[in-house]
Parts: sequence; C-alpha cells; structure tokens
Amino acid sequence: MTELFKTQLYDEHVKLGAKIVPFAGWDMPVQYTSVKEEVLAVRNTAGVFDVSHMGEFFIEGKDAEAFADYLVTNDILAAPQGKAVYSPLCREDGTVIDDLIVYKLAPGRVMICVNASNIDKDFSWMKSQHHGFDCSFTNMSHIFSLLALQGPKSFEILKPLLGDLPDLEYYSVFETTFADSPVILARTGYTGEDGFEVFAHHHTIKALWPKLLEAGVTPCGLAARDVLRLEVCYPLYGHELNDEINPYDAGLGWTVKPNKTKFIGKEALAAKAAKFKLIKLQLEKGIPREGYSVLNAQNEVIGTITSGTASVVLNKGIALARVKIDKIPADDIFMIDIRSKNYPAQLIKKPFVTGGHK
Amino acid sequence: MATNIPANLKYTKEHEWTLIEGDTITVGITDFAQSALGDIVFLEVPEVGTDLKAGSTFGVVESIKSVSDLYSPVTGEVIARNTDVEGSPEKINEDAYGAWLIKVKMKDSSEINKLLTAEQYQEFCNSSH
Repeated sequence: MTELFKTQLYDEHVKLGAKIVPFAGWDMPVQYTSVKEEVLAVRNTAGVFDVSHMGEFFIEGKDAEAFADYLVTNDILAAPQGKAVYSPLCREDGTVIDDLIVYKLAPGRVMICVNASNIDKDFSWMKSQHHGFDCSFTNMSHIFSLLALQGPKSFEILKPLLGDLPDLEYYSVFETTFADSPVILARTGYTGEDGFEVFAHHHTIKALWPKLLEAGVTPCGLAARDVLRLEVCYPLYGHELNDEINPYDAGLGWTVKPNKTKFIGKEALAAKAAKFKLIKLQLEKGIPREGYSVLNAQNEVIGTITSGTASVVLNKGIALARVKIDKIPADDIFMIDIRSKNYPAQLIKKPFVTGGHK
Repeated sequence: MATNIPANLKYTKEHEWTLIEGDTITVGITDFAQSALGDIVFLEVPEVGTDLKAGSTFGVVESIKSVSDLYSPVTGEVIARNTDVEGSPEKINEDAYGAWLIKVKMKDSSEINKLLTAEQYQEFCNSSH
C-alpha cells in the first residue's frame, strides 16, 4: 500500500483528537467530536474544514478565460470578473470527468478547484486540450492548502482577521492578504451556508487555522461535510456523478450552456436527453444508504440511492436517488429496500434543508 | 482509548455487553462501541418471541454515517425489547450500559462460558486498536 498524503494541518487534527480515515489518497479528519455537533455548528454559528486535499489549477495568459470556457459546459466567458462558476467537466461524448469551480480571479488569471480524487485525471485531460490556447496551465495543488470556513458567523469571524474584507457576493472571489501573505478568498462552499473558502500557501493556512479556532470556530470533519452537502442536495463526484453519465442524468442540465460557441462535449450533449432523474427522498423511518434500491408501488426496482444519510437538522433519513426517467411513478409512491424490508419514502421537490447562504 | 468496562458484565468480541441473571441475559452495546460509532440515530431489534442463535445477527445499529450489525451472544428467545431506546437511540451514546436493547431467555446457559470477562474485553479492545 502506498503511503497516504497528509495535509499540513495533520498534526493539529491529531492533537484535537480527530478520527483520521483514508480518503482519496489522503489521511483526512472524518470527525473531531460528534458529527451532529459539527453539522449544527455550521448551520448555527461557524465551522472550519481542512480541505487541503482538493486540487488547484491555474490558467494564466491572454486566453485564460477562453481555455477555461472551452473545457467546461457552463459559461465562463459570460460571468463577470471576480465571479466563481460551478461546472461539470465533460469528455467529447458528454460523460462527466469531474465537477469543479472556476474562479475568475482577474483578466487573464483563472483558478480551477477540483476534487482530490480526480486531480491527476483532470490535469492530464485538461493538458491534452491545451494546444492552441495562448496561456499557461499549471497544477498548483501541492503548494496550496485550503480551508473552508462555513456558517452564518463566517463573515464576522473572518473580517477582523483579514482587516480588509469586503462583503463579497455569494460565489465571488477576490485576492487579499493574511499576515502579509497572499490569499485567495472565495465566498463559496459545500454546505449551503454562508462562508468562505481560503486558498493560500501552506504556511499561511497553518497560521490562519489556530486564529479561527481561537475565534470559536468548530473544527469539522468530512463526515459532517457530507451530511451538510446532502441536506442541501449538492452532488458529490463518485456518487451522483461519475465517468459513465452525462450532466443531464444528474440533474445538472442548468450547468450546460448549449449556446456557447464551442466547448468539449457540445455536440454529444446537444443530441442527448436525460435517461435518469436525480430525485430527493425522505423517510419517516429507516436510513437510506448508497446502493439501496428504490421501488415503485408494484415492487419494481426503478432506481438506486446515490447518497443517503440521517439528516441532523431534520432527524430523518434523506437520500438522493438516480431513477430511470421512464419509470418515475405517476402516483409518486416510492419505497426503499432496506435490508429486504420496504420503507415508504416521500418525494421532496426542494432541498431537504434550506441553507442560509446569501 | 479509555473506556468504561463494568466488571459485573460479560462481553462479546463484537462489542456487546451482557448482564446474566439466572437464565435471562440482557444485551446492549459497550461504551467502546458507542464511542466508535458516534451519534447513534437508528436501532432495529427483533420482536419478542424471535429465536436467536449465538453468533448470528439479531439487529442493526446505525450512526449518522455507518451501519453495524448486532450479534446475539447466546441462543434463545427474545423476551423483551427496549422500545424506549428504539424511539430515542441517542440514549445509547448517553449511557451505553443503561440503554439495554433486548432480553433473551437462554436455551443453553453453558454458552455464557464463551463470553469475555471485563479484563479479557479490555485486553481485546486494547489489542484491536
């Protein structure tokens, strides 16, 4: 077995008593005290996640925005400078390589943040598409750490630490300094709450982490992060998204902009209709888990749970499920097979929990 | 890892505790188990009258992120289930040895000889972590 990577804050996590698990090739803190307490800290006050395992790529030069726009399905060129744009990254055939966020830092300067498990796959794909664009393309993942400060108190906690913190719009980004070192600050996150993602060199993040804890921020692990994102129905690559499906099958049609002049996957996606629908199911009793079958009233398997958990906020089982689009029952009766017993599930239209982001 | 392991109970390697009173055995999960699982949110135990076999699964305990089987320490019949804990499974986190799950009428009381003493269980926990 190859040795796992450790973030720069690994020793801090161990000192705090975190339970450490392997994730995407990294030794990551999965929980510190209690998943429930960590989730509630983010919903009610503020929590911080060390997500330094995630990848950062930089595109710089005249064609930086054009290259980013060509790579992804969402519209990068149309977004104003200083904005962040969520998008799938697709192959020519429309299948999803990864989902990511493109940050328009400045004219001719773009950062892309990708999933840890897909850094190498994404970088080699993007590199292979780079010819003809007048810009550099660099993987900076190894020199950047990333903290996600999330929760309604994030702004008031971060402001005094940074001195200069404008009240950024949600999904916008700006470059500033902390303790005289550069940081990229984005009002983004994966919890549905207001918050900031702070990208900076390792030594800067190591200096920021204790300041956040001193300010009363709760350290939160990957388990809480997964519950938080599922409560607000954000997809996770490897679960709702994978190499075999296209964005339409994952409910991400809104991120595909077919009117863009050119982007990878445009022709294939124009000819595709969704075969699956990603639906939200909630249970009064029982906890749905990934891989469980979804049934209709006739006991016919119509789909599979892609992510499931107990919701901390609702105290109920919640799940996202990929269901064959031609099998969606008109009577809205769904059941989930949990250990060979059928549990009734209610179809939910809006996210299970409404996050408080701006 | 410091855990609470009462001396008057017997234990299984699957982290159940048992209290033996005549031919009745009360079963729960240990403090070590509840701590490893984290916030417990769901419990499934068999109906009264169900026959259990030593070493086979009799139910499920779920935390927010995990599903774990429960294993019967002995062979016998379920004579009581703790509906209070079923309704509020977080009680297992609060008091693992107070929050019993089921009571079983043993068929063969010699099976209790296979259970671990508190010292043996402590040693088992130390060696497996």
